[in-house]
Amino acid sequence: MIAREKLNELRAKFGPAIQRADLPSDGRLFVFIEPSVVKDVCAHIFRDLDARYVISIGADDRPSSGKFMVAHNFAFDREHLLASVLTYLPAENPKLDSISDVVPAANWAEREIRDLVGIEPVGHRYLKRLVLPDGWPDGLHPLRKDFAWNQVPEGFDEDREFKFDEPPEGCTVVPFGPFHPTLDEPAHFRLYVEGEMVRGCEYRGFMVHRGIEKLAELVLTYNEIPLMAERICGICGCVHNVTYAQAVENAIALRPPPRAEYIRTIMLEIERLHSHLLWVGLACHIVGFDTLFMQSFRIREPVMWIAEKITGNRKTYALCVIGGVRWDIAPEMKAELRAVLDKLEAEWTPVVAAVLKDKNIQKRTRDVGVADRRLVKEMGLIGPVARAAGADMDCRRDHPYAAYDRVEFDVITADGADVWSRVVVRAKEVFESIKIIRQCLEKMEPGPLQAEIRDELPVGRLGMSSVEAPRGESHHFVITGENNRPRRWRVRAPTYQNLQGVPAMIKDQQLADMTISLGSIDPCFSCTDRLETIDLRTKAVKVWSQEELRILTRRAKT
Amino acid sequence: MSLLSKLKEAAVCLKAGRVTLPYPAQAQPVPPKFRGRPIFDAAKCIGCAGCANNCPAREILVFDVCQEVRILKYLGRRCTYCGRCADVCPEDAITMSHEFENATNSIGDIQQKLDLFMSTCQRCGRCFKEPSPLEQLKLKGYRFDDLANEQWIFRSQAYLTEEAAVDDVKIELD
Repeated sequence: MIAREKLNELRAKFGPAIQRADLPSDGRLFVFIEPSVVKDVCAHIFRDLDARYVISIGADDRPSSGKFMVAHNFAFDREHLLASVLTYLPAENPKLDSISDVVPAANWAEREIRDLVGIEPVGHRYLKRLVLPDGWPDGLHPLRKDFAWNQVPEGFDEDREFKFDEPPEGCTVVPFGPFHPTLDEPAHFRLYVEGEMVRGCEYRGFMVHRGIEKLAELVLTYNEIPLMAERICGICGCVHNVTYAQAVENAIALRPPPRAEYIRTIMLEIERLHSHLLWVGLACHIVGFDTLFMQSFRIREPVMWIAEKITGNRKTYALCVIGGVRWDIAPEMKAELRAVLDKLEAEWTPVVAAVLKDKNIQKRTRDVGVADRRLVKEMGLIGPVARAAGADMDCRRDHPYAAYDRVEFDVITADGADVWSRVVVRAKEVFESIKIIRQCLEKMEPGPLQAEIRDELPVGRLGMSSVEAPRGESHHFVITGENNRPRRWRVRAPTYQNLQGVPAMIKDQQLADMTISLGSIDPCFSCTDRLETIDLRTKAVKVWSQEELRILTRRAKT
Repeated sequence: MSLLSKLKEAAVCLKAGRVTLPYPAQAQPVPPKFRGRPIFDAAKCIGCAGCANNCPAREILVFDVCQEVRILKYLGRRCTYCGRCADVCPEDAITMSHEFENATNSIGDIQQKLDLFMSTCQRCGRCFKEPSPLEQLKLKGYRFDDLANEQWIFRSQAYLTEEAAVDDVKIELD
């Protein structure tokens, strides 16, 4: 019982400050502690026990306990344990010591909690608004329970400008985004440039929030959420769908039937195949190597077709409900899937062989966008970015879910820590995915697709789940609730952590390398920005007021 | 020297040949399980409103005109073709069709409105077979979604009020 060991270690050090603990299963640990020791406990877990920071969650628990709640989640990858440090705060003027001094990766999460739930992180060094739009009135927190899901706040100030930091001396500001040819989705980087060299940047994103967590807490029901969750992301939608279902199943201790677990594994790997092929193509496109862009998209297409045959759609598979899956893989489909994998392997092998020796791509990507082991640890970077820096982590092996404990595969790592290493890691992971799907097809046995649920789900249980998305770990945290829906559902997409590493990755390198450095984390802003309760598409552009834009368009016509 | 790599890459391209499909001149057939636009069959529908209760996008509205007539309207605006309505329908009255070229300037083209004869139904919800308690009917009784503004409203009541009746049908209240 590794969870018990860790708890004993914490008890030995912090003793009476630990109020209670919950060890629902071997891979999970929930420790409830006093607010005053949160910073010390987190520092101990992050530094001395060398855990990886996952995410912090703020919740308005006033309707049930009369208090606010904050949870800091950590992962012990080598010991296969996900741990959550929880604390309750008074309903009046809630505040908590910031942990971002000792855990720099918590920077965004704490600012998000401040924006959305209104819990003040005391001692945070960079308390700028992160999630809410610039004109949002102060003191209104949309994720509080007394804030209606469709409430439009009074006093929204359209003209209020976001105050950007002063650039360092001698630097010129070069705006990058919100709309830029290499960004598929809006995000704004304010780059500080000295000559051709980038010296720093400021990020302002969260322009495509859709308030999906708020909807889940007040409008949707348990089995409706997975179908909305997969719309968080257009590339790794199935990942969010499965992660949510697993988080709820984890909370209520429900195990889906084995066949459902195999089908989840197969679909997740099919998704990884298409995503990796897409990303390798896009990365090549960004550095101007369109030959490979075209070829990887060609090789990818049959993967989309087989997904469509199995689930009824190329993307948004609508796969999971709580307790199982909706689509079966018929015997004739197995044969077809095997044929697709054989062809994919035969076609991808020569491409990889050619690309790995291609000096042109290497010149463009080696020593670019470097994220070393230290940065991986400090900012909580994950997925191919971490593996390319030699950090041997993969949720499929470290926190096994679905049927990953029954298949064999290698975790691909590299040690360059640069964009090139990320290309190598992702190009090679394609073969591992093929291997996993083949084993699943071999081992899958007939059986039911969904577990039987006879009663309404219990209330107030905690659950979490980590799934290795193509870009990194996707983590969901759920508190079950009344009215057939969760009380709190927190989504942490991989880009949320990886994006926080970008400023360090682009520092002191050429401006022209900015695009591929950013592209190399495979940013998915819609995933990261998933929270907002108001749609401000046009108003969010702050550089131009509407009046200015109107003048500009008139000028352009003449 | 990278020349060998370039030659290999060229070989990959040449071997692939032309792969572009002649769409839309010639559309490929969709696979049998393809989920396109849902089609509602008024002849099979019993008006249990299970689809409306379990639509994640809230795209199916129910409005009771009187004791005998229930209107079920499919809005088709933000429908994601997830197929949950077809899953939970106890009468298989909803089919996920193979239609995917649904772009239109007038949303009415893909909307459907079913006028259902409910006989003496008391809307108790018993005719809806829920797969698990997670899909149970939240709204029983008479329902009055906002058809004019096309909005789902979380409200229902056990009996009709007289104002809700159409002119020519006399409603008897208990």
